[in-house]
Amino acid sequence: MIKLNNVNKIYKTKSVETLALNNINLNINEGEFLSIMGPSGCGKSTLLNIMGLIDEPSQGEVSISGYRIDDYTGKSVAKFRNEHLGFIFQSFHLINDLSVIDNVELPLLYRKVSSKMRRQLAEEALIKVGLKNRMKHFPSQLSGGQKQRVAIARAIVGKPNIILADEPTGNLDSAMGNEVMDILLGLNQEEKTTIVMVTHDELMAKKTNRLIRLFDGSQVQ
Amino acid sequence: MTKHIFTLIWNKKKKNFLLLLEIFFAFLILFGVFTFVISNLRNYITPLGFDTENVWLARMEVPQDVDSADFAQMRQLLRTELEAIPEVEQVSYTINITPFSNSAWQNGTDENGFDLNARIIQNDEYYEETGGLNIIEGRWFIKDDVHSKYKPVVISKMLRDLGWRGKPVIDSLFIFNYDDGPDNQVKIVGVVDHYKYMGEFTEEYNMIFIYEPTTSTNLDCMYIRVKDNASPTLEEQINKTIAAITKRNDFIIQTLESQRKRKSRQTWIPIGILLGIGSFLIINVALGLFGVLWYNINKRRPEIGLRRTLGATKSDIARQFIGEILMVAFFGIILAAFFTMQFPMMKLFDIENINYYYAMLISAGVIILLVLLCSFYPSRQAALINPAIALHED
Repeated sequence: MIKLNNVNKIYKTKSVETLALNNINLNINEGEFLSIMGPSGCGKSTLLNIMGLIDEPSQGEVSISGYRIDDYTGKSVAKFRNEHLGFIFQSFHLINDLSVIDNVELPLLYRKVSSKMRRQLAEEALIKVGLKNRMKHFPSQLSGGQKQRVAIARAIVGKPNIILADEPTGNLDSAMGNEVMDILLGLNQEEKTTIVMVTHDELMAKKTNRLIRLFDGSQVQ
Repeated sequence: MTKHIFTLIWNKKKKNFLLLLEIFFAFLILFGVFTFVISNLRNYITPLGFDTENVWLARMEVPQDVDSADFAQMRQLLRTELEAIPEVEQVSYTINITPFSNSAWQNGTDENGFDLNARIIQNDEYYEETGGLNIIEGRWFIKDDVHSKYKPVVISKMLRDLGWRGKPVIDSLFIFNYDDGPDNQVKIVGVVDHYKYMGEFTEEYNMIFIYEPTTSTNLDCMYIRVKDNASPTLEEQINKTIAAITKRNDFIIQTLESQRKRKSRQTWIPIGILLGIGSFLIINVALGLFGVLWYNINKRRPEIGLRRTLGATKSDIARQFIGEILMVAFFGIILAAFFTMQFPMMKLFDIENINYYYAMLISAGVIILLVLLCSFYPSRQAALINPAIALHED
């Protein structure tokens, strides 16, 4: 499903070169729930960004669902991201000036989907995460766990086959974290959605199918 | 996308209020400036209808107790002597309602089946050539008109279109309470295309030229048409001739061209000042818009990163920011247009409605253009934001 071959990522400044990812080879199967662990700055988020096609590897190849990514700036990659990938972030990244349902509709805005259909799909996604009664609320009126559930609804509204989650429980207490994790596990098991999750939490990582560890940009497990 | 932008603008109405207010006041001020400028320029492009180059004007007082026979003789002599000067082409007499003088003689009646309001000027038979009038129908006065049963008049095209549109006008009689002619009627002998004697920037008005023979004591001013490149000594020569024949020194000689320039300056200067104020305002609004956009974009970098991650292309991002500011501008314009529409609807000033409509369109156009220009670069910069970096700036 996701294939990374000899992926390197080097950040260059005028005087320093930092190797963020070193020769990563990874094959993630369809329907797999993979977690990535490692200390801060080891390249977890960089790896997730590369899988999410929002960052470009300095060397190596990335292919997702058989689609080899060569151009990271064009419209086709934006379309691909929109249709195949869902994103969940540690800090939720909800737009505070939009209501819950408008936030969830956001990915559909960049597809040719009618306003009525957008609303219907967003409602369905919110029902899945148990937030139908919060549709008209604004993010500032929600708890952290609710915010993350909105973010999950936004990630799944476009029915992507891959979800990339960057520390989705990082900002939540354990109860809320478990709630979010249960939703992700449900999506993986019931809808066969491939999920790649970056986490610092061993307990959460143990709930997934496979765990890889990074250290100083290299895969160590 | 429009609905989404509207939702976003509506949800941020408090934040957008000041920007909307800025656009609202900018529109009102631009509307005022453009109404003034457009109404004046639209008047300006209408021809004056007479020559000002090489036409001089002499104002002379006519004594109350003048003997009419002596006066007629003096007038004929003065014409002959002046026209004998090689650099003088022609002389004609008129009343003291002369171009750019701010004086007017107005009369009106509704006895002809339409509301006739016109300004009146009395001229002799030579004024057509001296003044360079453009007769578009009929003729100018001739000497034999003195024997006419009805007082002969020449009217302006504007008046013809008001009272005789699609009908024959020459030799038509109409009631005009001017003198004791039969039934107070006068007879149209000709039509001139334009005559804006109050100045280039004034609105055209219905004009009626009434014939008075050269010898009439009503005519106390004189047009003198001179040749091109008249010598500097010509004025002195004319001055001496008039003084010698009239035996008076209480007359003034002016060139119509200098009068035209003086009068035009009275409008050009306010136009320049208002356009200067307008430009200053536009620069300020532009700086404001630019600042607000930069601020918004910097504040919303994570949101831009998110949108890019969720599938927005660079053009989607640029369109989003341009769209937001355009929509705020649109609402500001609509709100201001509601108020400016009251001017033509309530006829608050003596200005043609079309000038208000042009001013509204141009003001809206200027603001929209300004918004597009000011939003183009910041929006482009927003589109170039790297989502991977922006998402970690929260």
